Amino acid sequence: MPSTLEKIRILGENSKYDICASTASSRTDKYPKLFGDSKDFIGNTASAGICHSYTPDGRCMSLFKTLYTNKCIYSCKYCFSHNCKKRLSFTPEEYARTFMKLYSMNVVEGVFISSGVCGSADDTTEDMLEAIRLLRFKYKFQGYVHFKALPGVSQSLLKEAITLSDRISINSEASTKEHLAEIAEQKDFYNDIVLRQRWLKQIRIRHNDEALKIMKDHRQDHELKFQEKMIKDRREDGYKKFRWDGAPILNSGQTTQFVIGAAEHETDWDLLKRIDNDYKMIDLRRAYFSSFIPIEGTPLSAKQAAPLEREHRLYQTDWLLRIYHYKLNDLKEVINEEGNLPRGDPKIHLAEDYFKDRGPVDPNTASYQDLIRVPGIGPISAKRIINLRAQKISFNRRQDLKSIGIILKRADPYLKINGNSQTTIQHFIN
Amino acid sequence: MKNKSECEDSLKVVGCAKGYSKDELITNLPRHSKFHLGLIKQIITIPEVSLRNSGTVMAKKIIRMMREVSTETYRAMQFTRTEINKYGVLYGIVLLKHHVMDNVLKYFHERWPQCIICLYNEHTQSTGIINEKGNIREVKLPLKETVKKLSKGRPIIPYFDDIQFSGEEIFESLYNSQNIVERENSRYFKSMIPDKCFNLPGMKNGVEKRYTSQNKKIDEFF
Repeated sequence: MPSTLEKIRILGENSKYDICASTASSRTDKYPKLFGDSKDFIGNTASAGICHSYTPDGRCMSLFKTLYTNKCIYSCKYCFSHNCKKRLSFTPEEYARTFMKLYSMNVVEGVFISSGVCGSADDTTEDMLEAIRLLRFKYKFQGYVHFKALPGVSQSLLKEAITLSDRISINSEASTKEHLAEIAEQKDFYNDIVLRQRWLKQIRIRHNDEALKIMKDHRQDHELKFQEKMIKDRREDGYKKFRWDGAPILNSGQTTQFVIGAAEHETDWDLLKRIDNDYKMIDLRRAYFSSFIPIEGTPLSAKQAAPLEREHRLYQTDWLLRIYHYKLNDLKEVINEEGNLPRGDPKIHLAEDYFKDRGPVDPNTASYQDLIRVPGIGPISAKRIINLRAQKISFNRRQDLKSIGIILKRADPYLKINGNSQTTIQHFIN
Repeated sequence: MKNKSECEDSLKVVGCAKGYSKDELITNLPRHSKFHLGLIKQIITIPEVSLRNSGTVMAKKIIRMMREVSTETYRAMQFTRTEINKYGVLYGIVLLKHHVMDNVLKYFHERWPQCIICLYNEHTQSTGIINEKGNIREVKLPLKETVKKLSKGRPIIPYFDDIQFSGEEIFESLYNSQNIVERENSRYFKSMIPDKCFNLPGMKNGVEKRYTSQNKKIDEFF
């Protein structure tokens, strides 16, 4: 009989490639609590999340992240499952107790529950849900739960998982059906993954609409109208507005994860097209990218690891799509012939392209759209410039810009103040 | 920055990058260990726009002091390791130089509302206590004694009794299992963790031994 320690060592090791960067949840005291207003609850969520420790690669390790079981019917080519010598499973009680112990030590912020598919997706999900039910109702835990839904799971179980979790994710692994077939031939891209992701969106919208109706019977105030608006609001490009949607359930939305560089001909452009589609179609909160690392004993063990820089560029570009509101077609300008992003910061490449004909912009007259294109100016500092201009405050020195948070080192080549531009030696030489 | 409008209220700052409002300063600055009343008198006379902009020496000093206070609070929330006994008394040790004990206690109280929280501050050698109702007290008693006194007469709570086993090894196993060797980034790692936290469970006998002579700070610590 394996000990809990051994299970954590092996199942933790097996889950280390799953990414969960945030523990932030927008639950507030103003709206109904997930499980009522009992004073007996334990734990809470922090709006910005809290990290309790860091692994040597610098990643925040704030969740109890292990697999529920490493028994799996799938044999994905990149997965540890091929060389796994010992097959183990937690029991729901053991899982819940162990987590509560760690939570009481203040070493973890919440739970990330994932699993191999043992028997069928529904059987394993039932067991995982039992562990979460114990946490929620026996131990009265009200903190952060990230539930990894398994491919092919039934709709009724997804419904229950949604009501018990802050965040749900289903790993896409690849950007298209063909690329997924290359690395995980047993998984059906549309049926097992995309369809489930769409269900998650539908279930969430339905739940939140119903919750709003109940809340309306109790309250009549401005904030409720604002919340209703935020739940339905979309950006012009079809992306969901997530700044704060005050959703009573699944506050942290759904996410997904891609394995970068495992499929032979999968390009950055393929991945960007997929995430753009996901932001519009399934209200994806954010995408995670995990560089492929070959594992001994797997069919892809001889394949070269994907460079971490590629992962970094994809995160930067995802940020441009999601936060800076760049259009997908704008990004196409910097994609190279192989369909990949070039080396270096994508925003700088895009700025080089954008300002080539236009020339540097004056922060006293430039539009928000132009300002956001300047490296060193983000959405917040661009809004600050616009706000200050509305108050008839002008920028006459570079220092004025620095004092409101603009990174001059990056922004200088693309800005001019009163007709003067501060350029670099490199620009002078060119 | 030149304000073109003469009649504009200079105190109304929209979209400032840094700084704090006067109210925030008056509330939180007294928490700093080097705070003195003269500072508040000075703050009242200086326009808020100057205090928010880190261009002046005074503003720089105030922003630094406020940052030190908030960093200490956040670090305490992150890295304070606690234990809970079967009577529902949660306890731990902190090292707080500034007066932020109440903030840290409230953070734990929100998480464990039905528990009594005791945090022993090594700096002041006193124990901060918050009860179920949220009342805070500070006593000059060692932690062990305080916990013993507080536990007396309290009933055993079944789900706390359930988790009375050592968690150090469990956390150490979990921590070690999450490391991806190929992604190791020691510089980033070092920058994220305060030195004193390297002696916490899960942090020793592992990663820090691999650091080179460049890592002077950690070497000195050990």
